[in-house]
Amino acid sequence: MPIWIRGLPIDVRGRTKGVFMLKNHYVQRFLQSWKIFIENPLGKTGVIILFVFMVMALASFVVPHINPMYDPMIGIDPNISISTGPSLTHWLGTDNVGRDLFAQLLEGAKVAFIVGLSSAFFSIVLGMVIGMISGYAGGTLDTFLMRTADIIMVLPSLVILLILSSLFGQFNIWIIVFIIAIMRWPAVSRVIRSQTLSLKHRPFIEASKVAGASHLRIIFRHIMPNVLPLAFLYMTFRVTSAILVEAALSFLGFGDPSQVSWGMMLQWVWKSGNMFHAPYWLLPPGISISLLTLAFYLLGRAMDEVLDPRLRKEGRA
Amino acid sequence: MGTSLKLRVRFCFNLLLLVIMLIAVAAFLSSCQKPRNPGLLNIGLPEEPRSLNLWLGTDANSRKILSQIYQPLYRRHPETLEIIPWLARENPVFDKKNLTYTVKLRDVKWSDGSDFTSEDVLFTKQMVFDFKIPRYYSKWNIIKKIEAPDAHTVVFHLKKPSAIFMSRVMTVPMVSKKEWGTIAKEALTKAKPLRSLQDYEIEKPLGTGPFVLSEYKKGSYIHMKKNPYFFGRGQKIGNHLLGPYVDSLLFRIYGTSDVAILALEKGDIDYYWGDIQPGYLKDLKELDSIDLYFNKKSALYFLGFNLRKPPFNDKLLRQAVAMVVNKEFILTRILQNFGTPMQSVIPSGNHFWFNPNVRKYEDGKTRDERIKSAYGLLKAAGYSWDTPPVSEDGKIVTPSDIRLPSGETMDDIVILTPPADYDPKRAFTGTMVQEWCRQIGLPAFSRPMAFNSLLDTVKGKHEFDAFILGYGKLNLDPDYLRSFFDSKNDKPRGWNMSGYHNLKFDKLARMQTTLIDEKKRKVVIWKMQEMILEDLPYLPLYNPYVIEAIFNERFDGWVSKVDGIGNIWSMCVVKPVDSLEE
Repeated sequence: MPIWIRGLPIDVRGRTKGVFMLKNHYVQRFLQSWKIFIENPLGKTGVIILFVFMVMALASFVVPHINPMYDPMIGIDPNISISTGPSLTHWLGTDNVGRDLFAQLLEGAKVAFIVGLSSAFFSIVLGMVIGMISGYAGGTLDTFLMRTADIIMVLPSLVILLILSSLFGQFNIWIIVFIIAIMRWPAVSRVIRSQTLSLKHRPFIEASKVAGASHLRIIFRHIMPNVLPLAFLYMTFRVTSAILVEAALSFLGFGDPSQVSWGMMLQWVWKSGNMFHAPYWLLPPGISISLLTLAFYLLGRAMDEVLDPRLRKEGRA
Repeated sequence: MGTSLKLRVRFCFNLLLLVIMLIAVAAFLSSCQKPRNPGLLNIGLPEEPRSLNLWLGTDANSRKILSQIYQPLYRRHPETLEIIPWLARENPVFDKKNLTYTVKLRDVKWSDGSDFTSEDVLFTKQMVFDFKIPRYYSKWNIIKKIEAPDAHTVVFHLKKPSAIFMSRVMTVPMVSKKEWGTIAKEALTKAKPLRSLQDYEIEKPLGTGPFVLSEYKKGSYIHMKKNPYFFGRGQKIGNHLLGPYVDSLLFRIYGTSDVAILALEKGDIDYYWGDIQPGYLKDLKELDSIDLYFNKKSALYFLGFNLRKPPFNDKLLRQAVAMVVNKEFILTRILQNFGTPMQSVIPSGNHFWFNPNVRKYEDGKTRDERIKSAYGLLKAAGYSWDTPPVSEDGKIVTPSDIRLPSGETMDDIVILTPPADYDPKRAFTGTMVQEWCRQIGLPAFSRPMAFNSLLDTVKGKHEFDAFILGYGKLNLDPDYLRSFFDSKNDKPRGWNMSGYHNLKFDKLARMQTTLIDEKKRKVVIWKMQEMILEDLPYLPLYNPYVIEAIFNERFDGWVSKVDGIGNIWSMCVVKPVDSLEE
C-alpha cells in the first residue's frame, strides 16, 4: 500500500503551489483508482445495481405525492382490501390491507440505504478511531481496547438485538442503527490497528515526532489518511451486514413497526398468511435485499483490487 | 466427435443413476412411515403450554390440555350457553332464606379409579382460600362455608346473595384431595405458599375428564389417552352423546402457524387448535380435504389509556382519539371482515348484557369528518397547534405537534402492543392508531413489546401512555366489568390497568353482583357500559372471529360454539369417519 504525507514531500506543504499540486495529486489519484475500479467487471456491476437502488430510494420521496394511496405506510387503495397481484395501478400488487407494494419496495430501498450506510459509517468511524489509538498507543490501552473488541466481536449481534427488543420493546430505526454500529466496530478496529502498527514505525511518523507533532496530530493527520482507504473498503462490507441484520430483525418481528422496510414487508407477508400464494409480495423484498447486499459486496471486491495492486490482473494500471 | 458422444453417454448414465437413487430414497422414506393409528386424533398446538400445574397453567395452550383433565361442577351448554350440570347430577337447589345452594354430585371417579366425593369439593374450596388463588379467590370469597352432609351432596353457604355464583364459582375445575393434599400441606409451610404450589411439577395430573396424560415430551408433543373412568361415557349431556370415541389425542407443538397449516394441508394433523390468519384461507378453501369453521368469540380487543398521568388523564383527549380511530378500517382491512367492530366493552354477541346505546365516536364518518370533530373538541378544550390539522378554509392538512392547554408541547405518546409475531392484528392496529393520532398532531409512536414485558409494564409497573390488549376468552357473565374498572383493582398486578376511578361506577359494579333478578341487573350493567364509553378508560376496538380448520378425511363431528370448535365437547364427540359410515 502506498504511503504519502498528504500526498506530497514535506518541503512543499503550506505553499500555494503545493496546495495546487496537492489537489491535482488527489484528483489524479482518484481518477486513476476510478479507472481501475470501473474496469473491473465486479465493480461495474456493483455500481450499476447500486445506481438502480439509489434511483428507487429517491423515487420513494416522489411517489406519495402522485397519489396519497401510494403512501407506503398509511396509503390504501379504497377499492382493494385484500392482497392482489400486479396491475396497472399497483405494479407489484397490494398487501392485505390494500397498500401499494411497489411504494413499499421503494421506501424499503431508502431505509436500507439509511440503515446500511449510517450504521456502517458509525461503526467504521468508531473502529478506525479505536484501532488507530490502540495501535499507536500500545501498552495497557492497546490491551484494554483490543480485549474489549474481542468481547464485543464474539457477541452475536442479532441475538443481542432480539434480547434487547424483547426487554425494552421494539426500537426505532435509529436505535437499531446505533446498536448495529456498536456491535460491528471491533473487526474494523483490529485491521486498522494492525495497519497503524506497521505505519507508526515508518520514517515519516518518526520525522513528525521529531518535528514536535502531538500524538493526536500524528494519528489524525498522518496515520488516518493512510488507513482511510482500508476503512472505506471495510465500510462496504459493514453496509452489507447492517442491511442483513436489520432485515432479519424486522422479519422476526423486532424491527421498527412504524417504518416500512424490506424486512417488514417480508414479516407482513409471513404473518398475514400470504406467504404461500403471494409471490408478488414475497419475492421483491427478498430479491432486493440480496441484490443490494451483493452490490455492496461487489464494490468491496473491486475496491480491494484498487487498494491492493497484487490482486490486479496483468496489464492494468 | 467421439469424445462428445462419450460425454453425453456418461451424462445420461449419471442422470439415470441419480433418478434411481432418488426413487430408492423416496421408497425407503415411505416404508419408514409408521401406519397411522385410526383412533389417534392429531391436534396442532401453536405453542408449548406454560405448565401442566393447574394453578400456574392459566395460558391458552395450557388450558387446552388441562381442560381435558380437570372438570368443574357445572359448565356451559355448547349451543344455548346455559349453565348445565357436569360433575353435578342436577341443577342446584337454592334456598333463598338461608342463602344456600345444595349440589348433588354424579357417581364420578378420578382417573386412578378412586371416587370423586364432596370431600374433594371441600378440599378445592380450601385450596382456593388457603392459597388465595388469583383467578378464583375474588369470586369464591362470597362463600361463607361449605358443608358435605354425605359423599354426594355439597351445600354452599353464601355471605350474601350473588348473581355470579353459578357462572364464576360453580365453573371452577375440581381437584383431588388425594393428589394435592400432601403438596398443599407442604407448600403452606413455605415462605411463599402460592409460588411454591405453582412451582410444583405435576407429572401425572389426576382428573375426572375424558382424557389422561400419557406422555409429555417438552417442545415436541403431548400424548393423552382415553380416561377409562370418565363419567360422561355413553351419557347424553347438553344434547350430545358423549364418548370419547377416539382412543387418544396427540398434541403436536408447532412453533409457527405456517408449519402447522402445512401439516394440516398434508393431513399430518387433523385439527389446528390455534387462530388462523385470513391470509391462509385462500389456499385452505381450495382443498377438499379441509373444512373451515368460523365462530364468534367472546372477546374484547381494546385501546387502553393510562388515566393516572398526562396526557391521557384528560377525558377530552381520549375522546378525540376515539373519534379518529377508524373501526371500519380495522374490520375491513386488518380483520379482512372476519370479525365485528366493538361498540361497547361487552361483545355485541352477548345479546342480553350488551348495551347498543352507548356513546359512539363518529362511527361511519369519513376521515376528514373525524379529524374535524376531534380538532373541534381539542380546540375547545384549549389545545393548540402552530399548524392545526384543519386549515382556515376547512381543508385537512398535516398538522404540527399539538400543544397542551398550558401551552407546553406534548411529550411523545407511546402505544404499546404485542409484537406481530404474537398477534399481527394488534400490532398492526397499533401502527394504524399511531397514524390516526398523528393526523391530529399527537406525537404517537406504536411500540410492539414482548407480551410478558408488555404485561409487566402495563399491569405491574403502570409505566405507559396507551396500550392495545385483548381478552380472548371473556366470561359470558359481565361481572368482569367490575374486575376491569373497579378502583379497588387499581394496584400493581391489578385488573384495573387504566387506573380508572369513578365512585359511582364502583358503587354500581359492586351492587350488580348482589342482584339475582337479571332484569334489574341488566339495567345496572347497561349503565356501567354507558359510563365506560363516556369516560373511555378503554376504547373497545374489535372482536375477531375464530377461524379454524380441520382435515376432514379421518374424523368428524366437531362441535361449534362461541370461541370455536376447540372445546371439550368436540373432544368427547368427535368420531373416526369410518365409524360414522358404518
